[in-house]
Amino acid sequence: MGFVYLAALLVSLFGMVVLDRRFRLFFWRDVPRAAVTLLVGVVFFLIWDVVGIDLGIFFRGETSFMTGVLVATELPLEEVFFLTLLCYLTMNLLAGARMVAAVVLDRRGSSTAVAGDPAAARSTDGASS
Amino acid sequence: MTYWAVNAVFLAIVAVVGVLALVTAAVRGRAARASSSPGASTRRRREAVLGAGIATGVLLVMTAVFDNVMIGIGLVGYDAARISGVFVGIAPLEDFAYAVAALVLLPSVWVLLGGPKAPRAPRTASAAAATAAAAASKEARS
Repeated sequence: MGFVYLAALLVSLFGMVVLDRRFRLFFWRDVPRAAVTLLVGVVFFLIWDVVGIDLGIFFRGETSFMTGVLVATELPLEEVFFLTLLCYLTMNLLAGARMVAAVVLDRRGSSTAVAGDPAAARSTDGASS
Repeated sequence: MTYWAVNAVFLAIVAVVGVLALVTAAVRGRAARASSSPGASTRRRREAVLGAGIATGVLLVMTAVFDNVMIGIGLVGYDAARISGVFVGIAPLEDFAYAVAALVLLPSVWVLLGGPKAPRAPRTASAAAATAAAAASKEARS
């Protein structure tokens, strides 16, 4: 039984939680809303996976990197964690990119405006999100 | 059924949810715009578009990298007869549909779960005053 892939996924998920907490990206913005969003995403992608597997489009590879535990025919336990990571990453990324976008627009704005006050512009960031 | 045919079905569902979220956001935005300055809503839209663009670019690149690794070490296999044969490295192009779906579906669900309460709150005079006071004190502190 290989735990390499599962361990990599869990480490990555832990990273998502750390980033979420530090920058208030997803669960740290609204716990119930994030929980439902994540659940909807994971269930949706699991159905997509099961349809693909049933039609024989893709299948579990023969590898020693996975535990071999299956949650459905040809659907490894790891896939559930992978899809959770995909969904968590997507939401963290969207929120994080939005913060980056705010900084980029601030910089562009303060470089063109004569009376631009970067400190004042920055202080409104938190309020707008 | 090919991989693309399956993707088309699921991407269509995602598109419907996406349109619902856009309409919902537009309706709420119109209500919020009545209370805030027009500049603020333009700024919010610019931030949203630029942010979504950055996130899309990053997620597609990450998908290309990690999908290649996952296929390379043999975590997943594909029936060659059911995929288009268009690859990014050794990853079938079809796999990118998951990333695209995530980028549309998840924020859409998030928006739809938001409810009308949040954007309507600052419409009351006392809430607007409280927001303004909070912004002013924040500015004074910085």
